[in-house]
Amino acid sequence: MPNVEPTRVAILGGGKGGTLLLDLLSQVPGVELIGVADTNPAAPGIRRALDLNLRVTDNVVDLIAEQGLNLIVDVTGDPAMPALINQHKPPGAEILGGAGAKLVWNMVQHESTLQGQLFQAEKLAGIGSFAAGIAHDINNPLYLVLGFAEAIIEEHDPTTIRDLAQEIIQAVRRISTISREFTQYARQSISSEYVDVELNVKLEEAFKIAQYATVLQDLSVVKDYTGKQLIKAKPDELLHALVNLITNAIQAMDGKGTLTLATCDEDEVATVTISDTGCGIPDGRLEQIFEPFFTTKAPGKGTGLGLYNVKSIVGKNHGKISVTSEVGKGTMFRLQFPLEGQPS
Amino acid sequence: MSESGTDFLFGTSTGNGRVMVVDDEPDIRKVVRMTLQKAGYDVLEAEDGEKAIEVINTGENRLMLDVIICDIRMPKINGVEAIEYLRKEYPNVQLIVLTGFPDMDMASSFLRQGVVDYLVKPVAGEKLRDSVAKAMNQREIHRL
Ligand SMILES: Nc1ncnc2c1ncn2[C@@H]1O[C@H](COP(=O)(O)OP(=O)(O)OP(=O)(O)O)[C@@H](O)[C@H]1O
Ligand SMILES: [Mg+2]
Repeated sequence: MPNVEPTRVAILGGGKGGTLLLDLLSQVPGVELIGVADTNPAAPGIRRALDLNLRVTDNVVDLIAEQGLNLIVDVTGDPAMPALINQHKPPGAEILGGAGAKLVWNMVQHESTLQGQLFQAEKLAGIGSFAAGIAHDINNPLYLVLGFAEAIIEEHDPTTIRDLAQEIIQAVRRISTISREFTQYARQSISSEYVDVELNVKLEEAFKIAQYATVLQDLSVVKDYTGKQLIKAKPDELLHALVNLITNAIQAMDGKGTLTLATCDEDEVATVTISDTGCGIPDGRLEQIFEPFFTTKAPGKGTGLGLYNVKSIVGKNHGKISVTSEVGKGTMFRLQFPLEGQPS
Repeated sequence: MSESGTDFLFGTSTGNGRVMVVDDEPDIRKVVRMTLQKAGYDVLEAEDGEKAIEVINTGENRLMLDVIICDIRMPKINGVEAIEYLRKEYPNVQLIVLTGFPDMDMASSFLRQGVVDYLVKPVAGEKLRDSVAKAMNQREIHRL
């Protein structure tokens, strides 16, 4: 990309619109966010700006007086705002407010809704590929329930009957755990809040779910969780991304091989790596795999949206994704999230 | 309950036949054992395909095993691999697949390989015993 001066932008209003804009613009190359102003210090946009280490203020005038500002986006909805801005803005700065801001606001919101639907669609399609694994893991304890119940019918010894009943209770608990995990994962995520998330916990949760991706399971799993820091992320989105990466790894190994899950903190960066000893990815394909609908799986087996969504989720969380691979040896995906500004 | 503490390799033979159950979950093996002991079968256990092959290759089991009941999803050597091996090396031993995985393609491919039944858990005791009885009959035919 040519090295041009970035557009320096200030956002006035930290409500829903301001927050969405903030999230969008912070990922756009060539945009430098100067800060966010809102009179309410608890506004979501203010909290999000703090997470991103941006300047926040409750004083609009302070923010727009900033020299070198190119664009002031007014999403406050305050009728007195345009006059105030005109009075204090630096000479070169343009204003996006009123109907223009509303249009942008609507477009951003529409985009965000579409993206949410895309995530959900791909997630549900993915759950389809877990169906066989889930059936297997539910049918096993169901068999125990049936078998032990049949034994109880013919049993006379009260102690034995009690033991068998205890076994049945445990089997039922197993079944309900599985169904709980999956309904939680499948439900449309309602939280759009960035919160502190422990990567290790999410990775572990994702692993549990992704295991169902294979029926002929013969995996060695190595876990090396040395990272302890929290990152700011939407928990459901992060889980979804990790499930996708682990599922891909398991599928690449055809259920056989070594899966390595690791986290570490280093130089203000939290890193997660997911490595497999699967088929690998040829060099010429390393860019392509992140494209929407790119898949090497049989028709009906993969949407090709997995990595595309992983990449955009990681981007939204201000992280980076990279991949190294050797054909026939295996693949490693690495996610990196900034730790700066995190409470430790 | 019946004498589950007996050494299965040399336990009291009740004469109805010897069955080995291969499943990675001890409780599943326990249910199969209870179900089949009721019908007078001797039951051996193995926790995965590798163990199963080890057991069948030791001493007298080679001659004595009539039926193997095998899961598909298991660590080490999975059911598909174990069954392929057993079909080849021990064509007289009758195989029954008992799995939590309902898959028509897999079922028909196993049946083509000569597996007696493809049973999907949860399966009633009566049905499992019927299936083992059928396998014992085929075993008799093979012996003739
Ligand atoms: N760990 C991996 N090892 C080898 N190839 C991989 C790995 N992860 C992804 N790929 C390749 O990248 C392609 C795209 O992956 P992506 O997750 O986007 O879609 P998919 O897995 O094919 O479909 P879906 O995610 O809907 O099941 C895969 O089809 C596969 O060729
Ligand atoms: Mg995928």
